[in-house]
Amino acid sequence: MATESKVNKKKVSTYQIVQIILGVVFGGYVVWRLYQILIANPVYGPDTWLRFAIAGIILGSVYALVAIGYTLVYGILHMINFAHGDIMMIGAFGGYFVFEALKNIQTPTLADPKLNFLNAHPVISVILAFVVGVSVAALSGYFLERIAYRPLRNAPRLVPLISAIGASIFLENAAMLMFGAQRRDFTNPLVLTRGEGWEIPVGGGTVILTYTGVLTFVLSIVILVLLYLLVQRTRMGRAMRAVAENKNVAALMGINVDGIISQTFILSGGLAGAAGVMWGIHLGLVYYFLGFIPGIKAFTSAVLGGIGNLPGAMLGGLFLGAVESLGPAVLGIDFQLKDVLAFGILVLVLIFRPTGILGEVLSEEKV
Amino acid sequence: MKTQLKSSLNAGITFGIVSLFLYLIGFTTTASQIIQNLLKLKPASTVLGMDSLTFSFALFIGLIGLWAGVNQARSQKGQPFGTVLLSAVLTGLVHGLIVALAAYITGSLNASGVKMNTYLSQLLPASVKLFLFNQTPVLGALSQLAFLTLTALVGAAVTYGLMVSNVFGKLADAWRSMWKQVNAVPAIAKFRASPYFSYVMYSLLLLVMVFVPLRAGQYWNYTLGTVGIYVLLGLGLNIVVGLAGLLNLGYVAFFAIGAYTVALLTSPAPHGLVWNFWLVLPLGILAATLVGVLLVVPVLRMRGDYLAIVTLGFGEIIRILSKSDALTWLTGGPKGVNNVGGPVLFGWVFDDVSYLYLIFLSVLLAIFVTRRLQNSRVGRAWESMREDETVSRAMGINILKHKVLAFAIGAAFAGLGGVLFAARNQFTGPEDHNMMVSINVLSAVIVGGMGSIPGVIAGAFVLKGLPEILRELENYRVLAFATLLVVMMLVRPAGILPASRRKFEHENAPGNEGSKQ
Amino acid sequence: MIVALETRGVVKQFGGLVAVNNVDLVVPENSIFSVIGPNGAGKTTFYNCITGFYTPEKGDVLFYGESLLGLSPDQITYHGIARTYQNIRLFSTMSAIENIMVGEHSRLNASWAEAIIRTPRMVKEEKAAVEEARRLLNFVGLAGLGDQAARNLPYGAQRRLEIARALASKPKLLLLDEPTAGMNPNETAEMVAFVHRLRDELGISILLIEHDMRMVMGVSDRIAVLDYGEKIAEGSPTEIQNNPRVIEAYLGKPMSEYEA
Ligand SMILES: Nc1ncnc2c1ncn2[C@@H]1O[C@H](COP(=O)(O)OP(=O)(O)OP(=O)(O)O)[C@@H](O)[C@H]1O
Ligand SMILES: [Mg+2]
Repeated sequence: MATESKVNKKKVSTYQIVQIILGVVFGGYVVWRLYQILIANPVYGPDTWLRFAIAGIILGSVYALVAIGYTLVYGILHMINFAHGDIMMIGAFGGYFVFEALKNIQTPTLADPKLNFLNAHPVISVILAFVVGVSVAALSGYFLERIAYRPLRNAPRLVPLISAIGASIFLENAAMLMFGAQRRDFTNPLVLTRGEGWEIPVGGGTVILTYTGVLTFVLSIVILVLLYLLVQRTRMGRAMRAVAENKNVAALMGINVDGIISQTFILSGGLAGAAGVMWGIHLGLVYYFLGFIPGIKAFTSAVLGGIGNLPGAMLGGLFLGAVESLGPAVLGIDFQLKDVLAFGILVLVLIFRPTGILGEVLSEEKV
Repeated sequence: MKTQLKSSLNAGITFGIVSLFLYLIGFTTTASQIIQNLLKLKPASTVLGMDSLTFSFALFIGLIGLWAGVNQARSQKGQPFGTVLLSAVLTGLVHGLIVALAAYITGSLNASGVKMNTYLSQLLPASVKLFLFNQTPVLGALSQLAFLTLTALVGAAVTYGLMVSNVFGKLADAWRSMWKQVNAVPAIAKFRASPYFSYVMYSLLLLVMVFVPLRAGQYWNYTLGTVGIYVLLGLGLNIVVGLAGLLNLGYVAFFAIGAYTVALLTSPAPHGLVWNFWLVLPLGILAATLVGVLLVVPVLRMRGDYLAIVTLGFGEIIRILSKSDALTWLTGGPKGVNNVGGPVLFGWVFDDVSYLYLIFLSVLLAIFVTRRLQNSRVGRAWESMREDETVSRAMGINILKHKVLAFAIGAAFAGLGGVLFAARNQFTGPEDHNMMVSINVLSAVIVGGMGSIPGVIAGAFVLKGLPEILRELENYRVLAFATLLVVMMLVRPAGILPASRRKFEHENAPGNEGSKQ
Repeated sequence: MIVALETRGVVKQFGGLVAVNNVDLVVPENSIFSVIGPNGAGKTTFYNCITGFYTPEKGDVLFYGESLLGLSPDQITYHGIARTYQNIRLFSTMSAIENIMVGEHSRLNASWAEAIIRTPRMVKEEKAAVEEARRLLNFVGLAGLGDQAARNLPYGAQRRLEIARALASKPKLLLLDEPTAGMNPNETAEMVAFVHRLRDELGISILLIEHDMRMVMGVSDRIAVLDYGEKIAEGSPTEIQNNPRVIEAYLGKPMSEYEA
């Protein structure tokens, strides 16, 4: 009927102008800094850069594990599980106590009369630590949901959030009262002594690829791949995605929504538990407040990647880890301020992509 | 029968875990000491053949046992006496078994000289002994088992009696009918519904505010001042979260900006600018407001929950910056700023009482502003935004403008709070501004009742005042606070004093008489 | 004839899906103009293009000769267009009166500063706003229910409250999205009378989306039919009833079966 109508050009809003200015300023600064530190006036050699990068990737892989938990729960319940970082702490304590217990079991041999189980069977010990750490964390995740979230399923958005904040403070303080406020050394088996590893000559120096770091990274990647397969390929994963899409429809299709939500919490708790044990093995300290900062960082990663999106959380975690360890050097900022940088990057990314790096552009709510 | 069995078992396990938890966090010992103090028992004295601390402990654990019984009897309401008793005994047995097992294990380890408190810091030898009623592990465990079963039985029996005779039901009915009669008096009903009612309540509050500081003494004035500042912060956050529905987890940032403004401009170090407090006060508010606006403009287009993490991050950024070595020249670094200047009025240097008055005055001002805004076009726009942003836009409301406004006013209140806090303490430092402040204030708003001014006041008292009153429970305060948060959300999510809606219809009633029920 | 609303070749796409395709429409002032079409035809999307929630990829929307393109929904409300929603969207915890008073937002002026100081002007304006809200409440037949929370009202009352809220901005054009959805025949008949009153007493133009054919045929001056985003027919009620393409679009059933 109508003749060809005119095409509407998108108007450039002031917001977009702000975006462009910010982008140019920040991008220009990064390029200038890179030129400065790499070409004009190199402060660090390639070995140092590699060291930063490795540290960042290892840290990032732990963030990714924890971030997945946030994303899974958010995808299904649209709530920020504030206590997730503390579940990680519980996992770390689980691993710690396993190592402590095994350390006290004497398995003397002729060669070494003082040998204990931990050093006699390091592989079994590490597996045991993970099994226990993951189990207690998964169990905590399950009970957390049952007690503090499930009764609030249909409450206004802020109510479960406050409950989650309460649960988080509760777990931290319960741990503090039970285990004490001091930081405890996480005693590894000797073969996993922190700081030891393969030495790789790079540039003028050597870079140590630590055993604990490699363990952490490889294990994280394996878990992430398994998890991805679980969610994409299995019945449980399909049910989870269905519940995330629409709880009512899923229930009509005969999916046990409560059950799936419980499983999600068990799964994300377990992941946090594994991350906690890795944290202990790699970084070496456990204490009641351990989960707080990584928890917030992981949540930041989840948002960076686009919350609700699994690969996004993984990518976000690795990205944040890299930003934290490489960023201060690249941008010429005090290392003390790496957290400022992490949050700054978050804001910047959200300004350009309000849904996160891989976040789907949520279809505008049907008006 | 099977479901009853299951419920008894479940209850028993739950109570067992709770008792065990209380043991592991050392609360059994602390509670016993508190009971001992409350009953004014001398440590050396003996009661019923036990030393007074053991007796107090028996009272405490007995109360939990009774509670288990009462709980079980209530859940079995309407069942015959025998069933109730049986299920209570079962609950008590399971409860007792768990406790006894823990008592036996820890007791024997303790007896064989294992230092459990290297790992479980509260299991000091004395605590373990107390948990065994100062007996051998076997005897102590058996006593626990017997005692918990017995108390559950007693609790259930008594509750059954009370339920059958319906004592509480009758009392509640009497209370309710009394209220009904009071409210049936037309004058009272009319008064309660009229705006004068709240005026009277506020005047009462005012009277308390005038006279309490003169009598309370320095410690309580300090505490009340802190509560007052939290009320101020709560009122500000209430506008952002409660009215406009924007989740702000970094509210402390604006508090910090107010505090640092006054600190840096009135303290001799690090800048040597000793400006007059009354000049700096508006500057602090202004600075906080400006930062609030600058922060919120870029993030307002994000999805609601992203706002939460960005504001949370912002709160942390401010704190980290304020304590970083790189900015020590500006902020005083990790040690903070000392000798913050305070107000002087006609030569009168403010003491604790005058500070408290100043804080109260600010709170009144904040209440005034909040009330006026709430009952205006702007307030309605905020609430509509909270309810449904899309529709709100279709009503002609400029969402961006109103979000910025809410953030700015919220930040202004926080800035004022920060100024008062730093000036009163004569100090401010990074740890005054950690994330717990944001979380405490948010909790105060929500525990009190979102969008409700009396709610915010009540919330601030509960979260900041109550812990001061419960000083004896020092170590357990935060834990109790956390438990309260969760429990409140589970049983009364609308808050202690939920917001009530303003009534329009009976303001001038002719024609509306018949229609309102 | 004064034209209230005119759309010229409006196109709106969601990815590959063309939800509204090249729709031309002319709504004369003071008329009741209906848009019908099967589920998913793009009617609601078309509304969203008019009210500024979506920007059409192509085409133009003119309101009394002025282009609305690029204006935000709140600005469009100021121009004099108000709407209701297919699935009732009241501010559920606010009272009925407050809902209407939010609707009055665009006609009021008090700023936050005036609200705090309570200038005489603001006080007067507020008083008038409450009065007007009460009057509208009476107009839609909800007298006395003003202090009820919106979510506690019965379904039919909620529909009428939504219309009252839309009227509160004193619109020149009112967009109704299936106002009789979920109503019984009695209530539907009342709604027909009510829509007539809106036009006759308030003198506003009405654009109506409706599935109930009895309502559509009884109330409309003119009808446009959308199918798969395209306008397949336009005309008076009788013309539409006899249009073969329309009948085909409705699965070949005669229009009269489309009443329930
Ligand atoms: N935000 C969106 N994103 C993607 N597709 C959309 C969106 N909104 C609507 N659609 C699609 O556009 C088409 C038209 O939808 P619309 O809601 O306009 O139909 P309608 O005519 O109002 O139908 P109904 O009679 O069911 O209300 C549908 O296929 C719908 O799925
Ligand atoms: Mg529709």
